[in-house]
Amino acid sequence: MLKSYLKLAWKVLLRRKFFTFISLFGIAFTLVVLMLVSALLDHVVAGYPPETNHARTVGIQFASQRGETWRRNGFAGYGLLDKYARDLPNVRLMGVASMPEGVFSYFNGQRVKSFLKRTDGVFWQILDFQFLEGGPFTEADVRDHRFVAVINEATRQRFFGGQPAVGRTIEVDGQRFTVVGVVPDVPILRIVPFSDIWVPHTTAKSDSYTKEYVGNFIGILLLDDPGKLAMTRDEFWSRLRTIKLDDPGFQRVDATPETVFDTLGRLFTGDGTGEGTGYGRRLQIALLVAACLFMLLPAVNLINLNTSRIMERASEIGVRKAFGASSRTLVGQFVVENLVLTLVGALVGFVAAGLLLGLINASGVIQYAELSLNYRIFAWGVGLAVLFGLLSGVYPAWRMSRMHPVQALKGASR
Amino acid sequence: MIRHVFTLIWNRKRTNLLMMIEIFVSFLVLFAVVALGVYTADNWRRPIGFDYERVWAVEVDMQQSSDDTFDESQQETARQLMFALKEFPEIEQSAGTMLAPYQFGSSNSGYQWRGRRVDFGVAEVTDDFKDVLGLKVVEGRWFSREDDGQNYHPVVINKDARIDLFGSGPAIGQSLNGDRPDSLPSDDLPSNEVPQRIVGVVEAYREDGEFDGERNYALFRKTMLGAQPGRGDAAARRRDRPPRNLLIKVRPGTTAEFEERLVRRLQAAAPTWSFEVTPLKEMRDTSIQFAIAPLAAVGLVAAFLMLMVALGLLGVLWQTVTQRTREIGLRRAKGAARVDVQRQILGEIAVMTTLALAAGVLVAIQFPLLDIIYFVDPRVYFVGLAISVTAIYLLTLACAWYPSRMATRIEPAEALRYE
Repeated sequence: MLKSYLKLAWKVLLRRKFFTFISLFGIAFTLVVLMLVSALLDHVVAGYPPETNHARTVGIQFASQRGETWRRNGFAGYGLLDKYARDLPNVRLMGVASMPEGVFSYFNGQRVKSFLKRTDGVFWQILDFQFLEGGPFTEADVRDHRFVAVINEATRQRFFGGQPAVGRTIEVDGQRFTVVGVVPDVPILRIVPFSDIWVPHTTAKSDSYTKEYVGNFIGILLLDDPGKLAMTRDEFWSRLRTIKLDDPGFQRVDATPETVFDTLGRLFTGDGTGEGTGYGRRLQIALLVAACLFMLLPAVNLINLNTSRIMERASEIGVRKAFGASSRTLVGQFVVENLVLTLVGALVGFVAAGLLLGLINASGVIQYAELSLNYRIFAWGVGLAVLFGLLSGVYPAWRMSRMHPVQALKGASR
Repeated sequence: MIRHVFTLIWNRKRTNLLMMIEIFVSFLVLFAVVALGVYTADNWRRPIGFDYERVWAVEVDMQQSSDDTFDESQQETARQLMFALKEFPEIEQSAGTMLAPYQFGSSNSGYQWRGRRVDFGVAEVTDDFKDVLGLKVVEGRWFSREDDGQNYHPVVINKDARIDLFGSGPAIGQSLNGDRPDSLPSDDLPSNEVPQRIVGVVEAYREDGEFDGERNYALFRKTMLGAQPGRGDAAARRRDRPPRNLLIKVRPGTTAEFEERLVRRLQAAAPTWSFEVTPLKEMRDTSIQFAIAPLAAVGLVAAFLMLMVALGLLGVLWQTVTQRTREIGLRRAKGAARVDVQRQILGEIAVMTTLALAAGVLVAIQFPLLDIIYFVDPRVYFVGLAISVTAIYLLTLACAWYPSRMATRIEPAEALRYE
């Protein structure tokens, strides 16, 4: 049964090539846009190296301080993480890292901009960097304020022309560091590991950051059991409630250990504070609504085309009805036909999206981007295509099935 | 004739309704993108009010995350930096400011003023700021030593604010203070409330540059000479806190080599702070890229959507003409000329487009009427509306053109025996 449907669908596709082209163009274009967005999102929130422990890792990123009249939002301060996020239950390791900041070096009369991240030693244990040469700096280096640095491949190219760099020094932001390790480039989309240069946080020019509750650090927590995140969070929250601030303007500090997706949701659907949970869920709903809104016009377009193409097949439908085919059978047949069409479109879209991602990578718009398609995005693409196919196939199929056989045989126009 | 067209459309109401929905949705999508484009173009064409040539911004990072807390030693260091800039012969003029033009971020203020809500972009700058950026004072005067030690905070506003607040009435010498809360006795000033007096009006100062929307700006005077750092009202804090950016106007021909010497000198004056030197021209390029990139992406997607809609409509209309071969053949047999047939097809699509657009405009007009996006000038909407309506008419008529030509080629004799 299904086989004859598929055969029929194929024949219909080949019959009026111009119409098939129009339909495929719309479907492929729609899915290209959706898959590009999915790929971008996937590269922000999913686990790519060096985040191999991604599934067991959560972060404390946004933090806020508020009182009756003032509110300050930002990232967590080092002081907050150091005093309240250590030794939480269900946490195997806790590392800290600053948000990457732009720093400058001068050599040969040229200015070179790099991103610099200040971290502790645990950072290198949680994240799984593959060192090209040398190795990470350690907790002892951090404790002793040693001016050592790990750099990425691009920085080695810029400063040392790609020659081995371990043991040599680089000067950034007026400070001189000895290179101890070189790692591959990490795309800027991966905000937790991303940087050009990583140095111990104790090399900061002033130690005022160690007292901040809201600052520019994030905490990275490697969990024993990601299913028990609530336990970790509740303990952290109850510790925050014990904070006593001497500034009457700020009485309360909030921050939350959560997944990157939740943090992203907080960024887009939250109000910039560190309070509450469930932002990931809200982001999911927002994305779904946005995708449906975007698909609205292409779907209406395809419905229109499909409806007018059914009329072309009025006599075929008339014959089938006259020989006793039920409405349900006909709806089924037409929906299958439409799904075949959308899946062919999805395949075209998938290939086109792959080419476009290659272009985006090559253009350098996103620093060190390695955007690529994978089975997850393909699955999303197929899912969206099926949704789109159903959306645009059901109404025309229903119209078709309701056609009166006699009228249909005559070639109805209404 | 028109009634006849309506009857024909009504006869095929379900198919036509779908087409009208498609035109309606296309119009809304196009309108959103066109309005955004018109808004951007309108901003681009207005003067920015300052000159970015040969001006470099030196971002000063005091290595703390809050702008509001500072102490006397930080004020002193900031003053040392300002003095250090005067040593260089390469620097014509220098000034301190909280935010540099084209820099990300903004400082805003909104409050009740003379019984209504007013919003400002706020800049806090030192006295040399006007000369570094070449601001044009059109009324009153710029900040000067005569403001020192006075019992008011001097303020310079931009022309947009001048018109918004005072219309054609006098502006110089007026107060910018917010309304006192009702709970206070009418002639009792809150202890920290110092009058904010308007001393001048500048032609324009658009901090975010070419893409900054039309809005009020208030420039406050920064001296860093406050007696009580970190205390007092918002205007006092603006006066006292160290600038986060130094703007320097360099002599022609100054190269990046000077940049390195400059940074080393500043670093020596403030060893625990960090500095980042960027020519405003570079910041402008970045700011333009950031404004254009999303617009280009949205525009590209919208263009493809419109192409898709055009192909779709072409397909549907083609199909329709094929189906109506007999009807058209009959009209031709009864003596209708080819041009009459073409006019019928085009007329039908024109009427359908009009109906869909009427609904679309009704929806689109809600934005200016309900003041949802209040900072956009209503004129921008109407220009956007006019462009989108015209574009949709052209689109649908272009799509109907080929099918309508096809209809004229139908031969009556052939059509009447067509199955």
